[in-house]
Formats: sequence, C-alpha cells, structure tokens
Amino acid sequence: MTEIPQNGAPSAPILEIRGLRKSFGDLSVLKDISLSVEPGNVVSVIGPSGSGKSTLLRCASFLETADGGDILYDGQYAMKDGVYASKAELNHCRTRFGMVFQNFNLFPHYSVLRNVSEPPLLHGEDKEEVRERAMSLLKKMGLEGKENAYPCQLSGGQQQRVAIARALALRPEILFFDEPTSALDPELTGEVLKVIRQLAEDRMTMVVVTHEMPFARAVSNRVIFMDKGVIVEQGHPEDVFGAPTQERTKQFLRNYQS
Amino acid sequence: MTLMTMIVKMSEGLGKTCAIFFLTLLFSLPLGMLVALLRMSRNRIVSAVTRFFITVLRGTPLMLQLLAVTYGPYYLFGANVARNKLIPVVIAFAINYAAYFAEIYRGGIESIPVGQYEAAEVLGYTRMQTFLRIILPQVVKRIMPSVTNEVVTLVKDTSMAFTVSYQEMFTIGKQIANSQTSFLPFVVAGVFYYVFNFIVDRVMGRIEKRLDYYK
Amino acid sequence: MKKLIALALALVMVLALTACGGSAPAKTDAPAAEERTSFIMGIDPEYPPFSYLGDDGGYTGFDVEICQAACDYLGWEMEIFGVNWDEKLVQLDSMECDCVWSGMTILDSMKEAGYVISAPYYDNTQVLVVKEDSGIASSADLAGKLVAVQLGTSGEALLNGDLAELAASFGEVITCDSFLKCFTELAGNSVDAVFVDLPVAASYCAEHDGLRIIDESLGAEQYGIAFRSGDQALCDEIEGAVAALVENGTYAEIAAKYPDIVNNLLFLSE
Repeated sequence: MTEIPQNGAPSAPILEIRGLRKSFGDLSVLKDISLSVEPGNVVSVIGPSGSGKSTLLRCASFLETADGGDILYDGQYAMKDGVYASKAELNHCRTRFGMVFQNFNLFPHYSVLRNVSEPPLLHGEDKEEVRERAMSLLKKMGLEGKENAYPCQLSGGQQQRVAIARALALRPEILFFDEPTSALDPELTGEVLKVIRQLAEDRMTMVVVTHEMPFARAVSNRVIFMDKGVIVEQGHPEDVFGAPTQERTKQFLRNYQS
Repeated sequence: MTLMTMIVKMSEGLGKTCAIFFLTLLFSLPLGMLVALLRMSRNRIVSAVTRFFITVLRGTPLMLQLLAVTYGPYYLFGANVARNKLIPVVIAFAINYAAYFAEIYRGGIESIPVGQYEAAEVLGYTRMQTFLRIILPQVVKRIMPSVTNEVVTLVKDTSMAFTVSYQEMFTIGKQIANSQTSFLPFVVAGVFYYVFNFIVDRVMGRIEKRLDYYK
Repeated sequence: MKKLIALALALVMVLALTACGGSAPAKTDAPAAEERTSFIMGIDPEYPPFSYLGDDGGYTGFDVEICQAACDYLGWEMEIFGVNWDEKLVQLDSMECDCVWSGMTILDSMKEAGYVISAPYYDNTQVLVVKEDSGIASSADLAGKLVAVQLGTSGEALLNGDLAELAASFGEVITCDSFLKCFTELAGNSVDAVFVDLPVAASYCAEHDGLRIIDESLGAEQYGIAFRSGDQALCDEIEGAVAALVENGTYAEIAAKYPDIVNNLLFLSE
C-alpha cells in the first residue's frame, strides 16, 4: 500500500467528478459538483447534515443513480454526461474503490474471517493467498485472534475495523468512508480514527465524509466544505480551518467549536 | 373394539396423514419462495396478480379450496375425479400453504436492512450471490418462529383432507367413533396430533438453536 | 369463615337436590314437561326426502313436516337445528337439540348407550347405486371396486358390521361426509358404486339420469327418533302427538307428498 498506483501520467486522478447533479424529487441534493482525487491524497468532506456529502459518496460508488455529469475512474468513464457505462464497465470501476459505511454493514451470519475473505474469493482469487492477506489485514487492524468471532460478539469499533479490513481485502485504489465513526460511542471513535490515520501514513488514497474536525484537519491533504448541495470552499486543511474565506464556512466552524 | 385395535386401525391412517404433511412441506416451501419473489416483482402487473391470488388463498377456507381442487374439474369440465385423493389433497394444501409461506418470506426479506444489499453490491457480489449468500440465510433465521407456527398448524390441518374423503387418520377415527358410538377415537386422535406436534416442535427447536450462533 | 360455611351448606343442598332427582325422576321431570313451550328438532340438513333445504330456503322434508304438525298439535314452538351427522349424539347430549329426527337408523349401540329411542316409523333397506353403462348388475360385480358411503349413516355401520364380508370384497370403501359427495364421486368416476338408503337413492335417481339402483334388500333396518337418556316423557309426548296425527289423517296427507317413501311407512301400513 505504500506505492502510489501509476496509471499513465504520474498525477492522473484516480477519481474525477465533473458537474455531478442529483435530486430526490423536487429536492436538489447535489448541484454541479466537481472534484478530483489524486493518488495518495486524503480528502475530507465536511458540512452540515443534509449538505449532500454522503450522497456525493453514494453517487461515486453507484449506490445512488446520479442525474447528470461525469464520473471517471483512472480516466475511464463510469458516467458520461448523465449516461452510465455498460454493466461490465461499471463492475470494472467497482473493483477500484472500497466503501466503509456508517453502520458497518458487516454480514452478521459470517465470521470475521469470512466477512473479509469471501469477496476476493468470489472474484476467483487464490484461497491461500486470500487467507494470508485477510489475516495480515486483521492483524494490522488490531483484531488478531478475532477471526473466528461473529460481528455480534464485537464492539462497534471492532466491527468498523473489520469493515475496513473487508474493504481493503479487495485491494482498492481508493477508499470511501461514509461517516465511519458516527454510529460509534464516543470512546470507540479513537480506535477507528487511528486506523484511518495509519492508512493515510501508508499513502492510501481516501475520501472521508466526517464530523470529526480535528481528525480532518490533522490527516487530510485537502478539505472540502459542502453546504446545500454545492462545494462552498476547499483547500489545504490549515487554510480552510485556520482562515476560511467564506461566511458559511466560518459560521459552520464556529458552531462546531462551541 | 378394544383401545388397542382402535389405535392400530387409526395408525394405518397415520401414514396418509404423514404423506399429506411431508409432501405439502416439500412443495409449498419452495413454491412459497417463488410466490414471494413474484409478489415483490418490480413489474406491477405481476405483483398485483400475485397479491390477488394470495388474498384469495388466505381469505377463503382451506376446506373450500380442497373441494374446489378435488371436485372443481368435474363440475366445470366433466373431468374425472381423481381416484387417488392424495393428489388433489396435496395440490390444494401446497398451494394454500405456499401463500402463507410467501407472506412470511416476504416479511423476512423486507426486514433485512438495505445496508446488507449495499455492502454486497460494493463488494462485487452479483445479485444472485447477494440473495443466496447474504440475504437468504438471514431470512431463514428470522422467519423460523413463524414457519414453526405454520408447520404446527399444518399437522392439525391434515384432518381436513377428510372433507374430500381421503382416508387419513382422523377420517378413520370418525368412522370408528360412529360405528362404536364412542368418543374415545377422538381422544386417540388428539393424542396422535399432540405427539406429532411434539416431535415437530423439537425438530424446529433444534434447527432454531443451530441458527443461534449469531444475532 | 362464615362464607366458607355458607359455601359448604350450598354444596350439600345441591348434592341433596341431585340425589332427590335421581331417586324420584317422575316428580322432577313432570313439571318441566308441562312448562315446555318450544322444541328443537335436530336434523341432517342434507338428507332428502326426510330433511333438506327446500326451494324456498327453509328446511323441509317428510320428518320436518311431521314434527311441525306434532308441535302444532302440542302447542309448541318448533326450532330446527342442523346437526353434523357423524356427531349427532354428542350434539344431542350437549343440549343443542332436543332430539335427532332425520331418517335416523335405530342402532342397538344407541340403546346400549342409554338414549331413549322412539318406536320405529319406517322400514329401510340399503341399495347400491351404479352408473347405468357400468355393466355392474349385482354386489358380486363390485369385487375389487371402489364403493362410496356416507359417514355416520347406517350403510357405513353395516359395512363395518353385518356386511363386513361384502365390504372386504370391495377394493376400498370410501367414506364421504355427505351423500352428495358420494354421488359426485360416482359421477366423476372416482368410485364405482354408492351404498345408500333406498329413499335417498330413489329421489336422487329420479332427478339424475344415467344411474341405476341395485336393490338386494341389504341390511334391512328401521328409522326412529333419538332423545337424551331421561327424556322418556318427552318421547312419549311426541309419540302421542304423532299417533294423533295418524288418527286424524294429517300423517297420510303429508306422506302423500313423498311418493318415494310412502310404501315403507310403518304407521300407514298398520
């Protein structure tokens, strides 16, 4: 994971989104969103609830159908001007990203090890190799000895770390986190954030939707502030947090500090 | 007639009672899944037609359905009535129970959180793999108590085959009761059903326990 | 404590009363009979021509009309209760009706069980009904074939008792819960013959073509009325009323409406 994936041009973005639009009925949730994520970057998306930041991730991972715009992975179109690519091409794009959900969404009837190793096995990978990789990922997540436990026997923080290991087992180029600590008790958020921080140090490319401001400031290369379906401000964390230029950003951060 | 001869004679009918029971489960459990999937179809016509049939099957007495399946073809088309009554009896029971199982399955499938589908999709499971590996095993666990209820009811419902003259255990009990002017055969029948359901309860309990390894 | 004594006293009194009832039934029964203003007749609602649902939606039939006339004669209000034929005696015991009067065959087992049975009023035999084109001419031709019989009828009792040998020669005896189902099975070719009371067979065959009756005078039997044990006085009253109807000609008038059975009515042949 320490290597930066190289695809053609050295700084070619892994994910590129242009003019993305999405509405639920009359409610416009995403209005002309554009962003690109270069290899090794950690992008935090912050903003009030209902700002569209989760919808952005869900559109990028094809869980929601966007209404218009372009989505490209490694320069390959997943959606071009509101038209999705073929099923096979979308499946190919899916192998490039991993997703970590707010509610973990582990499979409760599978053991920890099976949760992590079944997806790569279904992709036809070698059984021994997958097992080794799964075990080492679990070890890295601090879950050594838990491989035969069931999700219901684990704490929320442990479950979320299993979910991260499950996403990593497919060796994605980019990892999406959708409010990974929002469903956790406050004392359990630390262990999950620590793992994400460790991934950032390994130069894993990530997009993290989060409410943890200190974490976003410390870990990301870039912070995006969203409100009412638009990107209001983005830049280096020290700039966005230290010297926000937009009134809405200032107000949001003020509310957070108090 | 001694109690012993009574029990022996009624036991002969018990085989037919078991035949109804097992064949009904054999056909109605998978058929119910098919009906549930049709009921949840995105095609509105398919879904509406299926829902209509489910309401008819759940909204009319099983006894009526037995009569309709057994004698309906004769009254409508002059077709011969089946000599082996097990065939129309099992058809009627299987269709009726499939309707009930379908609603149980549907409730179970709809109770699985949407996050399970989303996780599977992102992890590259195909729709078939998602259903068979992720959804179905969890559905089975959730619906076990309701299924047990239906299976227990089925044991008792087998006595309704009497209405189309299928000579199962309860019919024989009734015959003995008549010829002997005695209430005893009904007591024997009650004991038979109780023992049958006692076994069913144990078996289902075991299955539920085996699925108890996760919550 | 006082309450307990009161309760004990009440219990003793109840016991004493029941004991009196047992030792002197006439005394307690007689006033009850005098007070009677209504009478519930238990019938099989599907047993023409003795009792059935008429064209106007009300119950009718020979037995129903006679009972109505008898109640009119006694000044009683008559109610009709449709029994489940194979549980008729249980329903009688549970007071759902005051008698079972519906082409009911008198069985020894009923008397042994303590029921009060009226004097017989009808001679019956069991016959076999077959399809005209079936080529079956006698009960011997039915060896190995399927025969339907209504559950709870005397025909069924005969096949399990006196005619067990004949029944054993059949392929199988199929018991149905109504005679209509027996005939439906015959029409639908799932059985080869129906074993049924002669008057039922006669009235059914009069309305449906293609059937033939084989009368071998199997299992002669008689019809009567069943009352609960202890209701001898009620039985006597009904029998008295029926005798009066025979006397004044009403009985014969009603019987004339039922040509299928008129020849076998015992009170008219006497």
